[in-house]
Amino acid sequence: MNDSRSKWDPVVELMKGAEPVSFGAMHSYHCRHSPRRILYTLSYYKFAAKLIGSKARVLDIGCGEGLGTWMLAKECGFAHGMDLDPDLIETAKTNWCDDSIEFSCANFLEPLRHKYQAVVNFDVIEHIRPDHAVAFIDGMADSLSEHGIAIVGTPNETTRKYASEVTNIGHVNMYTSERLEAEMKERFTQVFMFGANDEVVHTGFPPMCHYLLAVGVRPHPRV
Amino acid sequence: MADDRADEGEIWENVKQMISNDRLTLGTHWSFNLRNDPKRLSFVLSRYKFAAKIISKRRVLELGCSEGIGTPILAEFATEYVGVDSDEQAIAAANQNFSSERCSFISDDFLDQSFGQFDAVVSLDVCEHIMPEMEDSYFDTIAANLVTEGVAVIGTPNETSDVYASPMSKAGHVNLFDHERMRRALGRIFHNVLMFGFNDEVAHTGFEPMCHYLIGVGCNLRDRT
Repeated sequence: MNDSRSKWDPVVELMKGAEPVSFGAMHSYHCRHSPRRILYTLSYYKFAAKLIGSKARVLDIGCGEGLGTWMLAKECGFAHGMDLDPDLIETAKTNWCDDSIEFSCANFLEPLRHKYQAVVNFDVIEHIRPDHAVAFIDGMADSLSEHGIAIVGTPNETTRKYASEVTNIGHVNMYTSERLEAEMKERFTQVFMFGANDEVVHTGFPPMCHYLLAVGVRPHPRV
Repeated sequence: MADDRADEGEIWENVKQMISNDRLTLGTHWSFNLRNDPKRLSFVLSRYKFAAKIISKRRVLELGCSEGIGTPILAEFATEYVGVDSDEQAIAAANQNFSSERCSFISDDFLDQSFGQFDAVVSLDVCEHIMPEMEDSYFDTIAANLVTEGVAVIGTPNETSDVYASPMSKAGHVNLFDHERMRRALGRIFHNVLMFGFNDEVAHTGFEPMCHYLIGVGCNLRDRT
């Protein structure tokens, strides 16, 4: 027992220095009411981070409290999280702070100052008004350098009948796999479609995917 | 809806009539594999399915198609399919089973050859059999057969799994890749490389050294002048 303790104590000592992470209202709500949600979301971010690779400047649109942005920063080298909500950005800035990460409270539909090698957004495009959806995808393409990569995640339109009322009220722009692929192809040279059920990303039958992930590579001008 | 008055036998007969009376006889490689290690077919087909989904509706060239075991899956999604292999007997089996209006096969040692300008090149379990001094030539052949905006899907066992490989597998593996080396090899010819790992039938993006199999997706050819 004493011996185990003597082995464990240095581990405790090592962890002591860590700055405490304090979730804001959004992640705290998720933790209490639908804790699995954080797992799904992180798995989409991890999928994106692995495809983007280890040496890229990544823009995360609709970054929320920045947990996923932090994963992108650690895996890819640098990440810039952007969100419309000042409270979310405040929480993000408090928790995640070093040279590899940056947050700003901004409207993504306005022009950006920098180009990125990758841009991601999860659970954002379904909240964009349908008449702004084209501008949103244009914004992603225009934020990228020549061989940049965009990764978009959104719930499948086919899941709408199972979603809660509060979810459906916010989801004003739901995509099927075909529509997302077609709209991404307007601005990207290659588009690769994936599906996810729970945290598992795959290439199975599109209508039965709970979540859709589109990977657009190399932006081109609108045709 | 089935007819209430029909019994199960009659219902099944109706289904049977809808199935054609086609007979498919596998060549020696896949007959051997199925008799000795049937699970192999499952993970091999799953890699083909992954490739098929990645490339979707395009003109596809397969380098190293062997007996065409992946042809039906690749061709299901492709507009045209050409399979090439240097093994004449394997190509004969492929031709017999899978040639059609959209699918053709060529018996040829494909290194440094051009078969046309394809939208996609698929090559699974090939590069580990190419001598290291011919490796550049293999990747250049992929590039030479692709349109500039084409996509390549290249699969090979992970070098880290070699310690567990059967003596038969090991005998043929002269050039094993790990994740980083595959990324670099594809990066030499493509601007964009997306790396995936496989364990059994499952494609994922998990910890690279523990992937049993690697698939690299390359797109947007670099300028080769």
